[in-house]
Order: sequence, then structure tokens, then C-alpha cells
Amino acid sequence: MKLEIQSIDIQDLKPESKTYSKDRVLYVNSKELEEILLKDRRIKSVNIHFVYPGDRVRIVNLMDVVQPRCKIDKVEADFPGFIGKMQPAGSGRTRSLRGITVLVSNPGTNRKYSALLDMSGLVAEMSRYARMRHLCIVPTISEGTEERDFEDAVKIAGLKTAVYLARGAEGHPVDEVEIYELDIPSLNKKSNLPRVAYYYQLYSPQHDHIGISDPCFYGTDVRNLTPTIIHPNEVLDGGVVGAHTIRALDTYTIQNHGIIKELYHRHGKDLIFAGVVCGVANMEPVTRSRQAMMAANLVKNVLGADGVVLTKIHGGLPHVDLAMVAEECEKLGVKTAIFIQPLISYGTLADTLLFNAEAVNLIITVGATMERINIPLDAERFLGGTADTKIYCPDPIVQHAGDPVLDVEQFLIAGVHDHLGGAKIIVKEY
Amino acid sequence: MSGKKLKVIHYLNQFFGQIGGEDKADIGFMVKTGPIGPGLALQKALGDQADVIATVICGDNYFSKNPEQAGEEGLRLIEPYHPDLFFAGPAFAAGRYGIACGAICKAVGEKFGIPVVTGMYQENPGVDLYRKYAYICKTGNSARDTTESINHMIKLTFKLVSGEKGAHLVSRENLPKPEEYGYFSRIILRNEYTDKTAAERSVDKLLAKLLDKQFESEVVLPKFEKIPPPPPVKNLNTCEIVLVSDGGLVPRGNPDRLSGRGNLRWTTYEIDTFLPESFKSTDYEIAHTGYFPVQILEDPNRLVPADVMRDLIKEGKVGKLHPSFFSTSGNATVSRRCAEMGDEMGAEIKKRGVEAVILTST
Repeated sequence: MKLEIQSIDIQDLKPESKTYSKDRVLYVNSKELEEILLKDRRIKSVNIHFVYPGDRVRIVNLMDVVQPRCKIDKVEADFPGFIGKMQPAGSGRTRSLRGITVLVSNPGTNRKYSALLDMSGLVAEMSRYARMRHLCIVPTISEGTEERDFEDAVKIAGLKTAVYLARGAEGHPVDEVEIYELDIPSLNKKSNLPRVAYYYQLYSPQHDHIGISDPCFYGTDVRNLTPTIIHPNEVLDGGVVGAHTIRALDTYTIQNHGIIKELYHRHGKDLIFAGVVCGVANMEPVTRSRQAMMAANLVKNVLGADGVVLTKIHGGLPHVDLAMVAEECEKLGVKTAIFIQPLISYGTLADTLLFNAEAVNLIITVGATMERINIPLDAERFLGGTADTKIYCPDPIVQHAGDPVLDVEQFLIAGVHDHLGGAKIIVKEY
Repeated sequence: MSGKKLKVIHYLNQFFGQIGGEDKADIGFMVKTGPIGPGLALQKALGDQADVIATVICGDNYFSKNPEQAGEEGLRLIEPYHPDLFFAGPAFAAGRYGIACGAICKAVGEKFGIPVVTGMYQENPGVDLYRKYAYICKTGNSARDTTESINHMIKLTFKLVSGEKGAHLVSRENLPKPEEYGYFSRIILRNEYTDKTAAERSVDKLLAKLLDKQFESEVVLPKFEKIPPPPPVKNLNTCEIVLVSDGGLVPRGNPDRLSGRGNLRWTTYEIDTFLPESFKSTDYEIAHTGYFPVQILEDPNRLVPADVMRDLIKEGKVGKLHPSFFSTSGNATVSRRCAEMGDEMGAEIKKRGVEAVILTST
């Protein structure tokens, strides 16, 4: 499978009566985009905002961030299962715009973990997104639409906007071309390099809103997924998207998957990238052991890996699940490097482990995403909600977006942490 | 730092305070004006930015007999000075002195919220007891290191009061790096910026592990202590039993503010009023975000089995239900804090003369 990503560095984003790009400026006809998004009858209206670094604006009720991308050489192939037809993602040519994103906000959300982003002040110092330009879409629900249906509609509207913007850059000179090619069936079996696989924990159902899982894999949810093998390009190219809340993970982060890109980068030099096994966190113990066993078996006996890097989804239960997969891998002789996320900032690093397995002895701290931080209000405007929008705190505190200071956990700030390893953050004892 | 000189109080034991040796170790607290002994080196290192206005001295035996109480006694002497900074020791390898330095730093730090800085050798028992409450600089094991240790303590202190932003931390807090400033970490965790992504680090280290080279895990595996179960209760029918749960059951409104996740608190409620036979399910809430609480909110006895205990008492199988219920929330709370809360609850339960505990979880 071969994927070519053609990146264009966009340096400015401007409203215009026509959508096109020239000299690294993307001009956007919001009216036309609005018409496209309103074809979905679940959406009554949509507000479209241009957001720039330094703007004194706070975007709330954020459910996703998406990098503008579109397929160049295939039809109906963008985000297959979500907006494109069902076909494998990950081959052919893709246009990708750098320096801009689509911010997707659901102003009517009832989820407690909705994220926020400030374009100025302390949050802006922390978030990689605060240094980019954004088109922020804020759809409202049409009468008679169910809450969960509307969430799916908002999600898809974000993906459609990303495709629309990338198409708008057609004809613009390309700044960088990256090739992601991995022919798994004919991998060099004789190489002396170690074969390294990646175990991708895709989802955890523990926070399912009103008991329904979020679609994140070719248009479907993965709550009951048994571990399976996928091609890494499927992940990079729209087969996998973020869940309906940002908890240190969004579609943009998946499109720029830290581990997959790193394994590609080293492929053929330091290691042989043996492929990807994906699985999910599980709610009950028998399923958990079955899945751990199956995932480890795929890593060892199907992909033939010597080593595996394992990443987790946000939360404590996924931590336990992931450790069990790692333990099973080590039992089969596959050496592991496991990502963990300390769940609380009290104690030593060792105190934060939720497993006790001697063989799982290489642990990477991807970030204490629940580290608390007080963020002073710098914004003068609110998008995706109002100054009265509730912001979650695990203590029994009721706080609102317009409060002078918010006490939040860092995972609620879009663009700080990255469960897939792309952030230059480590957790240390202080 | 601007014009105003900072006021510094320094704590010493009887030996460094120049009262006497081991024979004077039982002596109580006293205050002397200005710096004494190692305080002179301290004053020199502080230069014209701060003045050691007084030295508080106490005998090691006197202090270490009851460190918490002595800390409070010392605090009363220090209070009138309203210090900006507080130093103790350094205590090097001296155990009783280390405990005294730690305890008085704790008392002063909690009272004034000012930087409290001391110095100890790594094996000093004061390190583990008080590292949470004070900046304890790493020192050698003897007073030969006095000047160097004090300079080291001052460097850290100036950094702490500099008001600089911690650009190395995601939170931007002004928390110096323990390895750079040579102090024992205070058992908290922080997100730090680093040169390599987690992805790069993981692949680097995994390759080393695969090639049987040395590799360094970012987390060293903990060693869990084996806890032997206590002997069984001899006579259940005369025994008093207490109910303890980490399921986060609290009265509506959560007056004791248990957190739903990462909780560090515990509290008690009187069973008679909190969970009477004719309870109203609307009177409760669950401070725990790790499970679906519907069934427990319907009937809190499902988490805290007071109903079954009442039956067993009526049947004569159990002597007595302890009148208080101990409540906490255990969801993503680190094992260290769980152990501490267990110790705290255990001590209280023992004090109340209760013989057995039923722990229910979710």
C-alpha cells in the first residue's frame, strides 16, 4: 500500500466570495460551505468563524479538530464510511493543508468533557493549535433530531469542511511530498533488523454518552471490535477519526499519528515496521483477557513482530487493558514499550501504574493529561458557546467559560497532549 | 527581586546553634537574634538581598520526641517575625536533626506559604518523612559540606522567589527541576517539555531493549509490599464492625467535597442519620466518575450494606454496627494516597475500639 501526502503550507485564511488558494493564502467562500453542510437535514444552521493566532477568543464545546485533506486521484474516497464510499483508506494521493485546521464545535452538547481552546493567553502558549489559523464551524440542531444523531452530523460536518478546504487548494504548488509505503505481504523476512509492530488501542467505551459508542472507524463504532490487523496508511488517511470528545486525541492527531510516522521514519533503517494491530479497551474482565490474548497472538504469530509499541486511549480502564495486552506480548517473547498516562499528579511515577507486571518494564510517560491548571481569562469573545458554558472540573466545582480563572485538567485543552506520542512532553517527579 | 530585603529565619539544633553537644540535646526552644554558626555562611550567600533576622534553636532529643508538637511550638516563636523565607539546617546525615528540620519546615510552610528550604543527605530519615512539605536539598553526609550545601540551598531559593515562568513545564509554574537544582522531589508529578516526542523515545528505547542494550524506562516498576491478612475475628456475635467504602457515597450536595476522580479525601457519616432504615434515595449522590451509579443511588445499601448488618445484629450473628460509616472515593487515586488514607482510617478505627472492618468497593 502506497500513500503520497502532498502538503501545502497555508499562511493565511481569508473570507472571499470564491474558495481558492494563491500564494499560500486560502480564500474561503463560507456561503458555499454553509450550503454544503446544510444538505444534512440534521443541521438547522451553521455559524462559520475565521480564527487567528492572538485573537482574544475562547472556543468551547469543541468536539474535534481536523486537518484539511482530500483525495486527489480517487472519487468519493475521503473519510470512507463517514463521507466517502466504503473503500480502503490509505492509498493514492492526498492533499494536506498545513498551518490551518477545522475546529468543530457542538454548542448544544451535554457531554461534560468538551474541550476548549484559547487563541491568546496561557492556553495559547500551551496549545499547538493556537499557533495555527482555523475555520471554526458551529452547527445547531434541527427540530426532531436526536442528540446522538446530531453529534454524528456535527462530526461529519467537520470532516466535510476539511475536504472542502483542501479541495480549495487545488492547483497550488506543493511544499512537501511524503511517501508512506509499506508492502506488508512482501516485507523483508530475511532482514537482520528487528520487526516492530504497533498496538493501537482505538477506543474505550467507558465514557459512552448515553450508552452509545462514537463512530470512529470507517463510519462505525468499535465497541465490540475483536483485535484486528490494519494497514498503518488506513489510520493516516481517514479510515480512523477521533471520538466525539477531545480527550488528548482528535482527528488531526490521528491524521498525523506520532507512532506510525516514527515507525515509518525508521523502517528499513533501524527496524522493519511489521504492521498495526488495533483493539479497544473493554468493560468486563473475560472480554479483556480474551482480547489481550488475541491481540498478542496477532502481534507475535501473524505479524511476526519481535517488539511492539503500545498506545492507549484516555483513562484508567484503558491503562489496565493495555497493560494486559503488553503482558501477553511479553509472555510470547515480544518485547514491549508501553505508553502510560499518570492519572493524578500526586505521588511518584511508580505510584501511578495501574498494573503490576515485572515483564512490562519499558514504560513511556506520554503526559499527565489530567494535570490541573488554572487558566486566567484572556478572551473577549466566545465561540461554540457563551460565557455561561459549563466547563468540567473533577472537584465539585461549577465553573463557566467566562469565569476569571478556570480550574481544568489539561486534556480538556485542545492541542496540548497527544496520546499517540506526537507531543514533546514527558512526566517527571518534582 | 525588588528593593525590599527579605526577612529570613534560620533553624538550627543545639550543636550547630552553639549551645552544646549531645549533653544539651534535651534542651527546649530558644531564639537568638541574627545568624549563628552555619547561619553566617547563609547570610553571606544571601548577600544584600535578605537578612537572617533570627535563629531558632532546639535540642535534637527535645524536638524528635514529638516532632509535630515541637514544630508547632517552634512555629509560635517564628510567627511574630513574619518571615519571607525559612531555612533549616542543613542536617546532613543526622537523623533526629533531619526530622526536626523537616517538621519545622512543614509547620512554617503550611502557615505562611513561603519557601521553606533545608538540606539533607539521601539516607536521612527526614527526607522521606518531609520531602512533600519542604525543598530538601541534597547534601553530603557531614558538615564538611556546609558552605557548598548552603550555596546550593540559596541558589534554589533565589530561583523559587524569582517569579520567573517555568518555561520547561506545560503548566508554566515556577518549579525548578529537581535534578538541576539538586533537591529531593516533593512527590508530585509535572508535565515537562523535552527534546524528543514520546513516539521517538518509545522507539529508541524499544530498539535498545530489542538489541539487549541498556534501556531506561521512564517509570521504574514499583515494589509492592505483601500485606499479611490479620487473624480472623474470634467472636463475631460480640464484635463491633465498621463499614468502609470507596464507592463515593455522600449526602446530596457532597458537603465534604470528595472528588469524583483523583480524590484525596475521606470522611465519616453517622449511619443512623445518613443511612436509616427508611432512607430517601434522593438524599444521596455518588462522588465517583468511574462507574454507573444508578443501582446504588436506587438503594445505597447495595454499596454500604447497613441493611444486612442490621439483620445480622437482630439475628445475633454480629455484635454491633459501628455508628459511623467511613466514605471515600477511589477512582484514579494513586496507591500511595490510598495507603495513606488506609493508615489514617485504620488509626481512627483502632482508636474507636472497633474490631473488624467490612470494605466494599465498586
